[in-house]
Amino acid sequence: MIKARQEIFKLNVGEVLKVLATDRNSLGDFQGWAKSAKVVRLLRQDTELDAQGREVYIHYLARLA
Amino acid sequence: MDDCPGIDGISAEALYGEIQRGAAPFILDVRNEDEFTSWRIEGFPPLSMVNVPYYAFLEDEAGSLAQVPRQAQVTVVCAKGGASAFVAAMLTQHGIEARNLHGGMLAWGNLQVATSVSAAPRSGFAFVQINRVGKRCLSYVIACDGQALVVDPTRHVDWYTSLAKEYHAQITQVIDTHLHADHLSGGPPLAGGLGVPYYICLDDVAGARISHEPLPDGARLALGSTIVDIIAIHTPGHTPGSTSLLINGRYRLTGDTLFVNSVGRPDLGARAEEWARLLYRTLFGRMARLSGEVVILPAHYASPEEIRSNGVIGTTLSEARARNPAFQMHTEQEFLRYVLAHLPPQPPVYQEIRRANLGQVMFDAEHAAEMERRKLWMSAAKSARIP
Repeated sequence: MIKARQEIFKLNVGEVLKVLATDRNSLGDFQGWAKSAKVVRLLRQDTELDAQGREVYIHYLARLA
Repeated sequence: MDDCPGIDGISAEALYGEIQRGAAPFILDVRNEDEFTSWRIEGFPPLSMVNVPYYAFLEDEAGSLAQVPRQAQVTVVCAKGGASAFVAAMLTQHGIEARNLHGGMLAWGNLQVATSVSAAPRSGFAFVQINRVGKRCLSYVIACDGQALVVDPTRHVDWYTSLAKEYHAQITQVIDTHLHADHLSGGPPLAGGLGVPYYICLDDVAGARISHEPLPDGARLALGSTIVDIIAIHTPGHTPGSTSLLINGRYRLTGDTLFVNSVGRPDLGARAEEWARLLYRTLFGRMARLSGEVVILPAHYASPEEIRSNGVIGTTLSEARARNPAFQMHTEQEFLRYVLAHLPPQPPVYQEIRRANLGQVMFDAEHAAEMERRKLWMSAAKSARIP
């Protein structure tokens, strides 16, 4: 989360950051963060399986301002 | 993220110790709101606690800090101990005395604490109740003359072998009082790994692909010399095979049949009314003959309020007869109405856990932890038992 926050401010306004996380808690964390952070919008969240069959949580975040 | 150097920390075990001693630590839980709502650290009397997600400290440092009291030492808690270390460091920079719970709620959820049950411990003999605090699950170890019996172990099997070693004992028998639906049993892996018998009532293990020994009504098991006498008593209701263990005629391990303030839910087999009738006959029939002096020691508890000053969760049968709401129902009809009206929701993961405990499906350690964690949310959010 802290890393994602650093990265998103390297983007231009309107660009989208894709974040891969291995922790299920990241779903709620990114939802909560996007609500409290004014300059970020959470576009989508996906859960996929990696090559080892483990769940990967994918978050798409847009920089708004 | 690792714990930050220079920040005070506390282990889950030490924190539990403080709570039990009544030190009433102030908790700042920095997980997201959903996680906090579904389960958290608990104590009795209820702990002072505030939930401010760690990402709020990033977006609005001043506003978030304002929600933290300045008088008290703050114990910061997150999912795994990383984000809380970050917040604890931030608090410390602002002059607030803060410490980090090492390992976060993951460590809290896995914490197991052993407490001696028998009032007069003697050499070569140990009778301990093991509280898996985060899930309110209880298991038992009885050791005598170098031999140990484990009842209802959790899946942290190494924990039991080390505990037995502390009592200079080898685990020689493992028992499940019933087929568990709410947590993965450590019974088959513990017994299988040691090459010792795993006992469970056959009524609960139809179609099982695990090796097991029957635990029929009236079966006697000895431990060490004849000092410990264990009698299995069939007490169906929560499951058809639920079995209680009478220890030296004085203690009764009741599994999920009878709790301090409630009884086991009878609805996990899609035959709630039939099993509720069995439970009625168990409590008001079979158990009616038992002396009120017998100490009942269950496999679960509903609230930290039930932890007695000596750390043990249990009560005498006479006390249960006087206070447990289920015992206040005087006819079978009343009892059925009471039990069937107080059934908590049944999460689908229960069936998955039952199948895993029957050896019909296998999970890797990671999936197992995840499956139990999900259950953990549910059991802590709503009372998983009646009422």
